[in-house]
Order: sequence, then structure tokens, then C-alpha cells
Amino acid sequence: MTKRENILGHYGPLSYEEIGFLLNRMSAYVDKQGMNITIKKKVYSAMVESLENVYKHQDIINGDTEHQPRFSLYLDDNEFSMFSSNSILTFKSTPLKEKLDRVNKLDKSGLKELYKQTILNANVSPKGGAGLGIINIAKVSENKINYTFEPINSEYSYFTINVVISLNSTI
Amino acid sequence: MEPLYIEPTEFTPKVSFDPESSIFEISGFSRPENVIGFYRPILKWLEEYNEKVLSQNIKFEKSLLTINMKMTYFNSASSKFLLDVLLEFMKFHSKGNKVEINWYFEDGDDEILESGEEIADMLGYTFNFIPY
Repeated sequence: MTKRENILGHYGPLSYEEIGFLLNRMSAYVDKQGMNITIKKKVYSAMVESLENVYKHQDIINGDTEHQPRFSLYLDDNEFSMFSSNSILTFKSTPLKEKLDRVNKLDKSGLKELYKQTILNANVSPKGGAGLGIINIAKVSENKINYTFEPINSEYSYFTINVVISLNSTI
Repeated sequence: MEPLYIEPTEFTPKVSFDPESSIFEISGFSRPENVIGFYRPILKWLEEYNEKVLSQNIKFEKSLLTINMKMTYFNSASSKFLLDVLLEFMKFHSKGNKVEINWYFEDGDDEILESGEEIADMLGYTFNFIPY
């Protein structure tokens, strides 16, 4: 494989069952490629946390069909790369940016420590979030998380995160 | 006290807590849509077990509690609750019971092994790490 291949794609409302369907398709693909269990688990974890974040935290814009949840998974010779997008109320972007910038500044041991402090002090929200998803993504990725907030209108933005999982350290 | 037994589903693990044998097992996959709804009854069962069995039966103070964790995958929200479950067992340990925690992982599955090592570190307790 020399060029980037699109392995999985989703656009539209995202159900819990759909997340399972996407995970099963990824697992079948990775198994078929004969990749090892660690890379599979890393991609699996990053996908779960990314897709569950979309599922739990999206702010749906009534009547808008252009900014629904989107997910894409790519593979080239060096890495898996996944993009997850959802609409979000713009006022929520500042704390989210702060969290992403914080994890992007930490190395592996710093992320472990942040994970430990967060899990020991976590209160699980009614949506089932423990504030651990982004930290977990950063831990398994071992790469910086790229992100964008694209303004949709005066209230909403379209939030995208790009998570990269390198193949060289795990195969 | 009645044992706690929960059948596994596509999104939730098998749970088998048997007070008779003092063997407590959680195995499989954990990505519940309602993570609080799944784990809260388990924590409640452990609280009752603590009150009804361990605190009232001094003979049990010397019993060995064996916890078998055989997870294949758990998401971050589940990790918080698995930690809470193990923290309940730590309470039993602090009351004088022997507690043995066996953390199983598929040979080569560094993610599950590392997760177990992190949880052991958070609890400040030694796990037996067992490949299969």
C-alpha cells in the first residue's frame, strides 16, 4: 500500500448500535490485514472514545443536514488516521480547546498522571462521561490530537478531531 | 446472601459474584450505553455484601476473596467504575480479609495489561497478571 486508503466512512445520525457496527468493520479489516492485537486495540480504543464523544456531546441543529456526525478512518504505510466531526454549541468550544491543548502538551508519563488524577476524582455525568475520553485518546495515539472548530452560524460550530495512530511502534 | 450473576451482552461484561466460594469475576467487554445503570447495582451489591456478610461474620475475616478480572476491552467510563468496584474490595482488605486480584490478559494485548498495571498502581495493590 503506498497511498492513503479510506477504510471506513459514516455520515449522518449516529446511534449506539452504529458505533458497534463501525467497530466490527474496523476489527474485521485489521484482522484480515494480519495486524497485531496491540494496534487493533489502540485503533479500537481511539474509535470508541471518538465516536462516543460524538454520540454523547453533539448538539443537534434542527433541520440542518450539512453538519451531521461524520467519521472517516484512513490507512497508509505509516499510520491509521481517523476524523470525527459533530456540531457543537460554540460556547462549549473554549473548555474543549483548553482540554485538548493540555493533553497535547503532555508526554506519556504526563498523560498517565493526568488520567490517574482524573479517574480518582471523576464524577460520572448523566451522559456517562467521566472526563477521561480525550485523555485516553491521547494515551493510545501517542501523537498530538489535531482539531478544528468551523463556525456554522452565530450559535454552533462544527468540531472535528483527527487522531493518528502510528504503525511503526506497534508492528 | 444471594450471588450476583449478570449475563454478558454485546456491550456489557459477564459478572459472577459468589459469596459462597468467595470468587468474584468480571469478564468480557464493557461499553455500556448507560454505564451508571450497569455498574451502580454491582457497587450496591458489594456494599450489601460488606454490611451483611463481612461485617457480621468474624469467620469471614480470614477468608480469601479471589477477584478474577478477565476483560477483553473496556471504555474509559467503564474504567472509572471498574476502579470503584476494586476500591470496594480494598475496603474488605482493610478489614482484614485476604484479597487476591487476578488480572487476565490475552498474550500480546499490551493495552489490557497496561490498563491493569495502571489500576494496580492507583490502588497501591499488587495484582497477579496472568496471560492466556
